[in-house]
Amino acid sequence: MKLAKVLLGVALLVGSVSLMWAFADKKVDVQLNVDNVRPHQLEDSTKVSIVRDYGLAWRELNTALANGATAPLNNHFTGFALQKLTQRVKDQQSNGLTTRIIDHGHKLDAIFYARDGSSLEFRDTANLETQILDGETVIHSESVQVQYIAVMTGGADRWYVRVLESVPNGQ
Amino acid sequence: MRRFVLYGFLVLICWFAADSARGADLKVPQNAVAGQTITLGTSGQGEATLFLIGPGEVIKHSVKLGSDVQIKGEELRHAGRWVAVLRAGGKPQAQVFWVKPGQPENLSFLARPSRIAVAQRNAITGTVFVFDKFRNLVLQPMPVVFTLGMNGAGASQTVTSHEGVAWIDASSGPKEGAAQFVASTGNITVRRVVQQVAAEACMGGLRMHIAQRTADNIIVETDPVRDCSGNPVPDGTIVTFVENDKKGKSTVDARIKKGIAKATLPASDNATISVAAGVTLGNELHVGGGQ
Repeated sequence: MKLAKVLLGVALLVGSVSLMWAFADKKVDVQLNVDNVRPHQLEDSTKVSIVRDYGLAWRELNTALANGATAPLNNHFTGFALQKLTQRVKDQQSNGLTTRIIDHGHKLDAIFYARDGSSLEFRDTANLETQILDGETVIHSESVQVQYIAVMTGGADRWYVRVLESVPNGQ
Repeated sequence: MRRFVLYGFLVLICWFAADSARGADLKVPQNAVAGQTITLGTSGQGEATLFLIGPGEVIKHSVKLGSDVQIKGEELRHAGRWVAVLRAGGKPQAQVFWVKPGQPENLSFLARPSRIAVAQRNAITGTVFVFDKFRNLVLQPMPVVFTLGMNGAGASQTVTSHEGVAWIDASSGPKEGAAQFVASTGNITVRRVVQQVAAEACMGGLRMHIAQRTADNIIVETDPVRDCSGNPVPDGTIVTFVENDKKGKSTVDARIKKGIAKATLPASDNATISVAAGVTLGNELHVGGGQ
């Protein structure tokens, strides 16, 4: 009976971890609204690229935070955002923390798109479920809507997140 | 009796644990600014661990409950959403607080293009992203002054940043040379150079003449080639000379050298020679039957 309980506990633990991983690896839902963008309208192909690359950036960020690995950040982050998030992951790791995020999607409102098509700034309303763990112990969990201001710049074959800054809702 | 004492002891432990958990409260700052020292208040008794999980860093401190915890400005570099978690004996206490960016100290100034023909309307774009000392985007509206000019003459325009970005479209000036494109806010100034070059040769201003005639050749050359603002068209620009006569067509692509293009064409007793540079057509010469 005792053994059965232990086995059930292990199975539940493995199941929940697998579920977390499944969420971390699934495609992130991103919607882009360009109604209020200035001074230039986004091309259709750019819209597609932004949605794809911003979604991938978040997926890689979630993987980096969950695993304490900085390598995934290099794919879609650059500049200040890359420096900042790399430091966050390193600090987490050195303090024995991990962060698990279940990403329920992002609604982007484009603010600024440069005339030469080199940079895009937008406001992101993200719905996230977050757990912060100290070792194996959950020390904080929340389900929250967070707003971010992001700047993406074009690279050779993808868009990179150059600035990612959370801001209080409504500001 | 023994059981009664045990139950009593358990109740005491639970009460103590509940009290400790309730006691380990956390007070976070309401107006934190990146780079400035903050103080977090704790209540309760005993030892605890404080985690501050920020957008770009994680800070861990051992704290004595009941005393204040000071976080130095250099530790608090990133603006955004922070979570403070106090881990004592009981359930961890968590509070969210926001850190605002500091005063503007850096401008990221993108000026495009770096080379432009003179007198082009709204062809130069200047974009400024405003950052604080720690490269947090400053979202508070800031006046950004853009100045585009050459040799002390030029135009200024003040634009208020919105969500950390300010931009203008500007026209290139009438004279060729290195124009200074300057963006500034407060006492921060960033300078870029936009090289203004002569535009296309001016329609109606491209003229050639016969410089020399020999038995075998006709040498034609242009007058100094200028754009409509009077700037010499750069050396290296291609000028095409075409000679048509009864034997056929001869074409020579010549580069402007020291402001003038020159070509050697076959001699003819009745030919028409035309000249063009890009989309600009010049004059025609008739050779043989009178010019």
